Amino acid sequence: MNNSSFLALIVLASTLAAQADSQSSAPQASPATPAAGSKTVKLCDNKTTVQVPNDAPKTRAEGQKISDALMAQWKATNPDTKWVKEEVEAHQVVTPADNSKLVGTGQSSTYGTVTQQDVQVWKNETYKTAVYGSKVFHSGDELGSEIAVSCDMCHPRAANTHPESYPKFQPQLGRVALLRDMINWCIEHPVRGKVLAPDDPKMRALEAYIIAQRKGVPLDYGKR
Amino acid sequence: MNDNAKIPHIRSVETRHLEERETLFRGLSNLDRRSFLKVSTGAAAAALAAGASNHFHSFLPVNVAYAAEGGGGVQGQGFTFAYISDSHLYVKKTNERFVRQLLRAVDDINKLDPQPDFVFYGGDLAQLGRKEELDLGAQILKSIKAPVHMMVGEHDWYFDMGQRWNELFGAQTYSFDHKGVHFVVLMSVQEKDFWSARGMSPAERMHTVAGLDNAVQSAFEVGAAQREWLRKDLDKVPKSTPLIVFSHSPLYKLYRPWNFWTDDAEDVQALLQRFDRVTVLHGHTHQVLTNRIGNIQFHGMLSTAWPWPYAPQGLPALTVQMNRPNPFDSNDGLGDGTVSVHPDGLVDKLYSLWNRNPMQVKASYLSSGGKSDVPVAPTLASY
Amino acid sequence: MNKSDWVRPSCRAVLICLAMAARGAESVAAEPATAPHGAMPMPAQQQRLDQLITGLSTPPPGIDPVAWATIYVPAGNEVTPERIALGRKLYFDTRLSKDGTLSCATCHDVSRGFTDHRSVSEGIGDHLGKRSAPTTMNAALLQSQFWDGRAPTLEEQAKLPILNPIEMGHPDAASAMGAVNTDQSYQALFQRAYGRAPNYDDLGRAIASFERTLIFLDSPFDRFAAGDGAALSAAAQRGLALFNGKARCVSCHMINSSNPLGTDNRFHNIGVSARKQNFEALAAQALGILSQNNDTAALDKLAIQTDMSELGRFLVTKQRQDIGSFKTEQLRNVGLTAPYMHDGSLHTLWDVMDHYNKGGETNAYLDGGIEPLNLSENEINDVVAFLFSLTDRRFTPQNEAALREQQQLAAKNRPFRDNALAHRETLPFEQRVMGPAGLK
Repeated sequence: MNNSSFLALIVLASTLAAQADSQSSAPQASPATPAAGSKTVKLCDNKTTVQVPNDAPKTRAEGQKISDALMAQWKATNPDTKWVKEEVEAHQVVTPADNSKLVGTGQSSTYGTVTQQDVQVWKNETYKTAVYGSKVFHSGDELGSEIAVSCDMCHPRAANTHPESYPKFQPQLGRVALLRDMINWCIEHPVRGKVLAPDDPKMRALEAYIIAQRKGVPLDYGKR
Repeated sequence: MNDNAKIPHIRSVETRHLEERETLFRGLSNLDRRSFLKVSTGAAAAALAAGASNHFHSFLPVNVAYAAEGGGGVQGQGFTFAYISDSHLYVKKTNERFVRQLLRAVDDINKLDPQPDFVFYGGDLAQLGRKEELDLGAQILKSIKAPVHMMVGEHDWYFDMGQRWNELFGAQTYSFDHKGVHFVVLMSVQEKDFWSARGMSPAERMHTVAGLDNAVQSAFEVGAAQREWLRKDLDKVPKSTPLIVFSHSPLYKLYRPWNFWTDDAEDVQALLQRFDRVTVLHGHTHQVLTNRIGNIQFHGMLSTAWPWPYAPQGLPALTVQMNRPNPFDSNDGLGDGTVSVHPDGLVDKLYSLWNRNPMQVKASYLSSGGKSDVPVAPTLASY
Repeated sequence: MNKSDWVRPSCRAVLICLAMAARGAESVAAEPATAPHGAMPMPAQQQRLDQLITGLSTPPPGIDPVAWATIYVPAGNEVTPERIALGRKLYFDTRLSKDGTLSCATCHDVSRGFTDHRSVSEGIGDHLGKRSAPTTMNAALLQSQFWDGRAPTLEEQAKLPILNPIEMGHPDAASAMGAVNTDQSYQALFQRAYGRAPNYDDLGRAIASFERTLIFLDSPFDRFAAGDGAALSAAAQRGLALFNGKARCVSCHMINSSNPLGTDNRFHNIGVSARKQNFEALAAQALGILSQNNDTAALDKLAIQTDMSELGRFLVTKQRQDIGSFKTEQLRNVGLTAPYMHDGSLHTLWDVMDHYNKGGETNAYLDGGIEPLNLSENEINDVVAFLFSLTDRRFTPQNEAALREQQQLAAKNRPFRDNALAHRETLPFEQRVMGPAGLK
């Protein structure tokens, strides 16, 4: 489900609601008994609900808030377990380095002891980050593109992103850039999307994916 | 200008160009008109390599340029046609950049002097195959002054399986003859059904195909039915007749992960091999691409929407890459172009890259196996 | 403005003084123009220069010293005090023009932003050229000179206007050296500077050495970049963010410590010259002419005198990619160097913003990086505020006066504004291709 279909459903539900009042506050997940002066907005699954005060303004912004609250609840109760498998089926993501040779070998210390489970946890987490990056990379919506452009349009499977050449003087920015600076510049200009904060999970995932796809290529910072 | 030997004269890009130009034009200024025309084919090529010409034919009469052509077989007339390809339109309020770029290509073609015999559209007019996108493209292409022949791409097809395309533009597979050359237009982006088993909606099917690197979709192919149509069509054509085949997918196998691929390429090529002169022009790859397999010469067409990088493997040896595009310039690595057909039916392919010097890939480059008339190498390769 | 500027009384000066008083005493931008072609008299300019540059230091402040030594000073013409002194004398010497009315400082006037505040420059016999005089300030840091980059160095550039028939008018180098060769003081200066008798190439070198002292990189922006958060107004800071972001300026007008000017030293067709003519026809014509006669003098003549001038860099390289392309000029001290663009057709920075905001002027060779920007009025004002902050602090009064003057002009008239294009309601090429109705 996406946000716009949620919104449509809420508009439908809200037309059944009661009158306006003087206060306004954020919608809340419904308690066992609804508070007075508020109405229940229900999702089409007939289970997920939020409480919306009667006086909440009937604006688009308010509708979006209600939609987001319902979406968050629904996602919490219906986690998407298949997203990694689906993403990898569509877009190959290079797997991280194999650390299994470290298991049960070498000098021992608390920190230095490596188990099979450790290796699997590292691999799973690292790979998932790169796969999430692939998901964002291939989606104009995730980047907030105003013109429905996604990174893979110019960079299929992260081709021609050359992360091994950073940091370098990037002429388009007029200064020395790191990979994430160039990612943000591309988001702002060719993609016309919303620039990401450096520690935004999407930015971190994008970097992870782009670097993953170039595994094995030697570093050569400054290369034009 | 005298120079003290101790003080080096700074040679910059500008002075080098001045020297090169002086050499070229000193040669030209001494010729009478007749020899000017003869010599200038070579000079024009050199000048063209430096990008001096607005359009290849802008100062060379077509007939004289090819009058010296030898070669056996049927001698038709030389002629030129233009192409625009891979516009990937969204509706204007979704993405006005792609619309603007198709308008720019139409403007270019309408300003060609002399006008080409016809204009060929290489496929992927729409981005997501929607009726509004195809209708917008049709509206814009109506402004082209010369006659237009259309070819379908996968982005046009997989939302409604060609329904709107057929309404607007007619059959997707057809052939015609022009000035002694037999032209064939194929629908070479057939895919085996991957969507029914997954219960995909039309939009999901289209979205899957629209991802170049989306591995869920099937490989492109011409397919048995169309190959049979082709066999029958070519049956009537003598082997000395030059053949030009339009195909959206490249009709050879370049790089499977990006569907730069035609699965039954060998079967199609087998049908073409018996002809003396065959050229394939394809879309889909959004870059300068050159290949030769047996006697078949292959040329890619530029996109007006966005450029693809070069595939990490499988690049034909004959391809001289175009320079890596600058993402600040949304028109870089893009453009339109013309195809000059010799009287013998082989072609010189002109890539009119926006804001760059044009690149020409001549039939002689391909016929010589890459030894003569080599295009200028890029400064920055794709990587 | 100092009292000493008024030392030479005359009727004309008094009248001008009264006119000045009527306009307002703080109008420092308009000086009493008593030298030919509207320039400030040479002695007054030199006095002004002495106030601006109080000591010579190499490398000059504001530029990375490694960059200065490795990029900007050519081997064989190292900057020495003797070369600077010789170059300075030459720069202000009107005998370098055939009729003695012009020196370099006429069109590159110390009091007028080291340019002449005209759309196109006026030369010998009051002839008007086709191009706006770029500023000599910081010109030492450009990779090429002239709007079409046809002179690779300052040394080469200095020698060309002297020989141009409608600029300074000498027919050849021998004629240009006339005054130098007969002036004893020059003999000594050349010997001290270059260790040999005066010659035309050394004349160019000396002027270049003097111009290498004209570095003005101490602006509020520089102070801000160095860490003084209060140096830029809030509007200018927003403008800086837009400059680096939505307004897309930085990609061609880059500013960094090794290249502080705000230029990429490349040539772009942004459509200024497409407003008035048919490029396709001009390009075909140019190829015909230049195949006959292609030496530097003919190019110079063409560039300054004829309509071919509008083809820009193409005249130098003959490459299709350069049709209608002109050099990205520096943005340093841009508040002082109106009017703008190669033909001086844009009179205020608001005009400049309107031009870019609508995606330049559509033509078949328009640089694809130029596109409608969808900037609001407030955003335009912020970028302009930032641009005015690039002026060296030594020119603050002139900068503020220029700002007021441009604000007044812009308030009356914005001839290049096109909101339909800027806000992407109409597309470039749309009406050219589809007709006046455009897309349905």
